[in-house]
Amino acid sequence: MYRTNKLKRDADLEGFCWSAASPYPPFRLPSPIESIRSDLVPQTMQKVSSLSELGFADDVHRALFRPIHQAAPPSPTSRRTKISVIGAGNVGMAIAQTILTQDLTDELALVDAKPDKLRGEMLDLQHAAAFLPRTRILASTDYAVTADSDLCIITAGARQIPGETRIDLLQRNLTLFKEIVPPLARHSPSALLLVVSNPVDVLTYIAWKLSGFPPNRVIGSGTNLDSSRFRFLLADHLEVNAQDVQAYMVGEHGDSSVALWSSISVGGVPVLGQLASDDNKAAVVMEQGVLERIRKAVVDSAYEVIRLKGYTSWAIGYSVASLARSLLRDQHRIHPISLLAAGFYGIPSDRKVFLSLPAQLGRSGVLTVANVHLTDEEAARLRHSAATLWELQQKLDV
Amino acid sequence: MARKSSSLLGLANGVSHQLFHPVPDSAPPYPAKRHTKISVVGAGNVGMAIAQTILTQHLVDELALVDRKADMLRGEMLDLQHAAAFLPHTRILSSTELDVTAGSDICIITAGVRQMPGETRLNLFQRNLALFKQIVPPVARHSPDALLLVVSNPVDVLAYIAWKLSGFPSNRVIGSGTNLDSSRLRFQLAQRLQVNAQDVQAYMVGEHGDGSIALWSSISVGGVPIGLGHLANGKKTAEAAEELEEIRKSVVDGAYEVIYLKGYTSWAIGYSVADLVRSLVRDLHRVHPVSLLAKGSYGIPEDREVFLSLPAKLGSSGVLGVANLELTEEEEKRLRSSADTLWEMQQQLDLKVKS
Repeated sequence: MYRTNKLKRDADLEGFCWSAASPYPPFRLPSPIESIRSDLVPQTMQKVSSLSELGFADDVHRALFRPIHQAAPPSPTSRRTKISVIGAGNVGMAIAQTILTQDLTDELALVDAKPDKLRGEMLDLQHAAAFLPRTRILASTDYAVTADSDLCIITAGARQIPGETRIDLLQRNLTLFKEIVPPLARHSPSALLLVVSNPVDVLTYIAWKLSGFPPNRVIGSGTNLDSSRFRFLLADHLEVNAQDVQAYMVGEHGDSSVALWSSISVGGVPVLGQLASDDNKAAVVMEQGVLERIRKAVVDSAYEVIRLKGYTSWAIGYSVASLARSLLRDQHRIHPISLLAAGFYGIPSDRKVFLSLPAQLGRSGVLTVANVHLTDEEAARLRHSAATLWELQQKLDV
Repeated sequence: MARKSSSLLGLANGVSHQLFHPVPDSAPPYPAKRHTKISVVGAGNVGMAIAQTILTQHLVDELALVDRKADMLRGEMLDLQHAAAFLPHTRILSSTELDVTAGSDICIITAGVRQMPGETRLNLFQRNLALFKQIVPPVARHSPDALLLVVSNPVDVLAYIAWKLSGFPSNRVIGSGTNLDSSRLRFQLAQRLQVNAQDVQAYMVGEHGDGSIALWSSISVGGVPIGLGHLANGKKTAEAAEELEEIRKSVVDGAYEVIYLKGYTSWAIGYSVADLVRSLVRDLHRVHPVSLLAKGSYGIPEDREVFLSLPAKLGSSGVLGVANLELTEEEEKRLRSSADTLWEMQQQLDLKVKS
């Protein structure tokens, strides 16, 4: 019966060939899962360390290609971008696959606790090599595979057990992050950390504390996706491209997020007051009922997808790939993401909480926070979220 | 035109014209002439990986998803729509009814029944045939000029079935066939040769799966043919053949291994089909090994109406032509043998469609 023990180191790092000296029995399928010919049970599969064991001439590549005279031996490329994704579930894999398709990295490392699933996912990506740019794809249950990453994306997280309190869920996630973050930080001391796992704001705070990194290098995906959903709704209604709609949701990701109505613009044109159904524009700057309904629709849309298909994946994949691009290509673009919000909008400087605000992102992480206009109401909501999160964080043993 | 999601929330109508005004004396807007619509039937792991890759690679203006499971389907559609801010302006629709596929340029069929433990191959085919009888005729009716791309397994027989049920000319019906197998082979060779997999030309042809044929005689790297001598390191013919067969088997087993480890394959087939779609939609005239009507090619008799993978030039009207490669006698023999086997099996299927 096929068994997976801890992968051998070189097999991990190369990722696509098992060592010939492996202690595993030869691979044999338990039952034909998708065989076309049930009369032809797949034969024993030998794992080989290289094609030379299969009869491929060792120096055939030398016969095909010749270096020019006096060439220096090839040096390892010094500018290689490496991204690590922790957690090879639906979210992690959608992120990994979108990053690959968009050609954002030279090296991609996957880490998960389940070695079989992890290896399967890695192989599935590698098999697309003929259709992708030459990206090295590695996978291991050992964090050493993440060494020297430019960006580490954490999607691993405990699922809420029915009836579990929020604080208990957080405690479990804290325990998990204590296993994940310190080795990650140790292996890539200069990396950017991007937390996606929920509840993202608290977990980003936890990741920051556990990593010892400066706060500009630790961010959470926050309301980047909520803002995308918000922009989708507005763009669909206004019949414009969603990329031309500027609209932010900020604050705590989830039920208490804050929609910044005063900052919406389309192609540079502010749309404040134009979205209410009431024709009396002078009197109706913002009709609370309608706006709140839109905000709830955005928040609920995540729950709706989860209810319908069991989880969300594609949208968060694109969202995080977009963040990865801005960070690694030093784009100086503005995204609403979860960052250390202490000192902004009246949040006391000693309240070390992470909340989403529109921030300029680049190679060194958070460059600046955009000075968007918040109404008194919106700032008050932010401060309220900060207070709630702060109290919650006090109860955790970080 | 679908109701806008936002109008359900009480948002004012006609706001758009307050934000933008047209240039004087403009003609009214008309829809883009180059409007590519692709439908994916089957929103499972394979269908969604294909849909998402097609979207990310900007290959489509309108994407329609069809599945029997209404909730899952709607969830998948919403999940893609929520990425609107990160994607080009693509219209994404979904329905459990096939009329949502109307006017497609390409219809991709990933729907298929799973093999039950102990089920005979023939029985599996009969069940898939029943499913295709529900899917293919309406799809063909709603998009009479479309290209049909079958991904469901066993792809060669199902591509044949789709062709018969659609009534389409043979150039407009293809199966994903050995496009992905070839990719896996090229990946392995590329690793060994330390070149980019895209510079390795190597085809697996014939029946997708255990019976596929690796065209060892036709491998080249960066335009340089690799002779069998190189491949087998000077070993004697029988031994060499055995070792090459090991390589072929490891490529075929690659799929089984992924299925065993993660339960299914998705990403690689997603990229593979998106690659085919690109050639078809953009009329690229690139050569891909895909499952097509193989009779008359490489000595396969005219009366053997079977689909097998062969390297073919693809463009906006589907299969433009099959490549005339130099196959060895052995390779041609294997192709003909696959054709015989498939043909015998197809004879046992009842292809009459109730009108």
